[in-house]
Amino acid sequence: MHYVIIGNGVAGITAAFALRKRAGRARISVVSGESEYFFSRTALMYAYLDKMNLRDLEPFERKVYQKQRIELRHGWVEDLDANRRVLRLKDGAEIPYDRLLLATGSVPNRPDWPGLAGLAEGVVHFVSLQHLAECERLTPTTRKAVVVGGGLIGVELVECLVHHGVEVDFLVRENWYWPMALAPEEGELIAQHLRHHGVRLHLQDEVARVESGSDGRVATVQTRQGKSLPCEMLGICIGVRPAVDWLRGVSTPPALGRGIQVDRGFRTSLPDVWAAGDCAEFQRADGAPFVEQIWYAAKRQGELAARAMLGDAVRYEPPLFFNSAKFFEIEYTTVGATTRLPDTARSFFHRWPDRDAAIRIVEENGAVTGFNMLGSRWNHTVLERWVGERRSLDEVVARLHEAQFDGEFGRVPLAGLRAAFAGREARA
Amino acid sequence: MIKAGTAHWLLHNVKNRGFTAWLLAVALTLFYLILYFTEWLTPAARAVGLDGKWTLYGLLYTVAIVWGGIHVIRKYRHNRYQVVRTSVVIAVQVSFAFSIPQLLKFFHQPEYYFSYLWPLKLDYLTPGYIFSLPLPFILYSFLGSLLMVPVLAALFGKRWYCSWICGCGGLANTFGEPWRHLSDKSSQSWKIEKVAIHTALATSLLLTALLFITWGAGKSNPAVARFTYGFQSFYGLMVSSMLAGVAGVGLYPLGGTRIWCRFFCPMAALLGLVQKFGRYRIRVKENMCISCGLCSKYCEMGIDVRSYAQANQSFTRASCVGCGLCAEVCPRGVLRLENVRVRAPQEMSLIQISPMPPVRQAG
Repeated sequence: MHYVIIGNGVAGITAAFALRKRAGRARISVVSGESEYFFSRTALMYAYLDKMNLRDLEPFERKVYQKQRIELRHGWVEDLDANRRVLRLKDGAEIPYDRLLLATGSVPNRPDWPGLAGLAEGVVHFVSLQHLAECERLTPTTRKAVVVGGGLIGVELVECLVHHGVEVDFLVRENWYWPMALAPEEGELIAQHLRHHGVRLHLQDEVARVESGSDGRVATVQTRQGKSLPCEMLGICIGVRPAVDWLRGVSTPPALGRGIQVDRGFRTSLPDVWAAGDCAEFQRADGAPFVEQIWYAAKRQGELAARAMLGDAVRYEPPLFFNSAKFFEIEYTTVGATTRLPDTARSFFHRWPDRDAAIRIVEENGAVTGFNMLGSRWNHTVLERWVGERRSLDEVVARLHEAQFDGEFGRVPLAGLRAAFAGREARA
Repeated sequence: MIKAGTAHWLLHNVKNRGFTAWLLAVALTLFYLILYFTEWLTPAARAVGLDGKWTLYGLLYTVAIVWGGIHVIRKYRHNRYQVVRTSVVIAVQVSFAFSIPQLLKFFHQPEYYFSYLWPLKLDYLTPGYIFSLPLPFILYSFLGSLLMVPVLAALFGKRWYCSWICGCGGLANTFGEPWRHLSDKSSQSWKIEKVAIHTALATSLLLTALLFITWGAGKSNPAVARFTYGFQSFYGLMVSSMLAGVAGVGLYPLGGTRIWCRFFCPMAALLGLVQKFGRYRIRVKENMCISCGLCSKYCEMGIDVRSYAQANQSFTRASCVGCGLCAEVCPRGVLRLENVRVRAPQEMSLIQISPMPPVRQAG
């Protein structure tokens, strides 16, 4: 039996280790074009910031792969023939498989702004090792940069550029920073923090046109609001999409939507081919497609997909949503639903007057349903439990200290928050 | 990527084993060789009004801790654990490890360092030396080493000593801060560590036992006494001078700041054994790790913290000195130092954990 995995990201490698645990003497191969070894994509920024070497980004010692008998192949897969059960690499080599996992991840979205296609240089993304190399190549000759996109990758790129002394104009289309996850007052807290770090944040504005200099490198970004932003680097961080374009031209393409369509058991439309991670597209009960493009989901899916490939009856059901991030110095933990809330939901929001910290607890029909925590540390597993147990807002506020995860001597005080909560109750 | 500019390049170079780091390592090593094996520093000490080279060394050591400590407090000012801990390190060095011994000397008392204990300072349970001191010092030595050290370690882990009180750790965590990430994180180095540090502990215990035997029965066994004194001076040269000083500090810019503490300190070994089965642990928040590796990178003891964090495994490693930097640098708040009453058996595991964590989520 030969298990082959395309993609050595967190989904693919997690699957490989999970397979090895139970697959006995079977061969396991992982193919990747991006890098020879698995690295932590979420840590790309720390290499850019000179906090880590590229080697430090690798979560496992290299000898682990040998010990676990996981064969690593460095190369891009060009063809998939499910009838012959063979992959062909760019260099012509063929890899036969018995069971195949597609874990190819995401690629950045590329917009069609006027002038963008004509640029010879200066446009960057911040998703892959190759993007990092390009950013690092351009940084020394960059005094000003424009970063577009009000999400997590955008803010990471902004932080790196600021660290290297680049003046940054940060363009966010929405009315406040990251409305996908943050309420206006939370977006405002982050906006203040960004401005404090010297970032010029432009809300409700987007790119109208991109202009190049005589050398073909990006020179100016013209915005819809009529601003003219000079720059030597343009960072495009407007989300990612499943990396499935290469599958459209292979001998036997699997059924594709936005991503590779799979059932809840990670099965694609091809026999003995599964998919997991950012590239896998599931269907909700109402038929709407969904993809999960975060680290935690990819790790979870990789492990479960391995079980499915081993023959277990697996039915993937995403658990209660949780995520984390960091905006410069502000840490962020979120659990449950915190945006796009139904009308019946109400939020209790508290911002600490003396620090960049705030929390928001969402309640619906007498039970808490979501938490947004900024600037302090929380044990999300406790918050998840409270949501699962349908605890009331009153009880959660009273027991909030149980979920605190700040370091010793560093617990954020809750007295002010509780006083504000009591005052709010009295008013209501 | 290194920040542009000569100053940033130099800083990167000296922090990452560049040629300036090698120069500095040579300079530090030479300094220690001169200090231990010549009297060249004595005139310098006299010239500034001090009574000898060791007082001058104490003064320089204290200055390095205060200066580095202020820098560390500024760097981590948002983290109260770091601010409190570093303040204590500075205060202990200035008082117990410098001013008080000098004052004792001034008042014709023994030059006693309350912040050093057996078996780090073997003299303090060496009968020939310790019984020559006034009774309060004898009591402090015995009760401190045999009672206070293990009890506090069981309650709070070895950190109460190694990263809050000890001068070796103090220097590492202040002056040595720029080189903390150079510790070797490989599983191979962990294996070497386990052999080396327990050998050091066994050696110090054996020597202490021999010193007691010689003290009690040395007169009638001159051969034992001869062997013991030879062993003692060998230990003094190899362990106290070469490993703690010359290698321990001299290699800061090449091998990180805790080479002595991690591989050779008998006190750290003893505290580590107590810690392993005490209350202290590093708590890992489930499923929140992004495997970035900042925790491992900045662990001065070379612990691959990430391997536990990404496997959702709270843990206690004997070598962990509880500096708290892993929790500080974690961008997702996954780690927390804790003292808990009951720990799970797997938290105390002595082997490397497997790359795949136990499965928790239901399919």
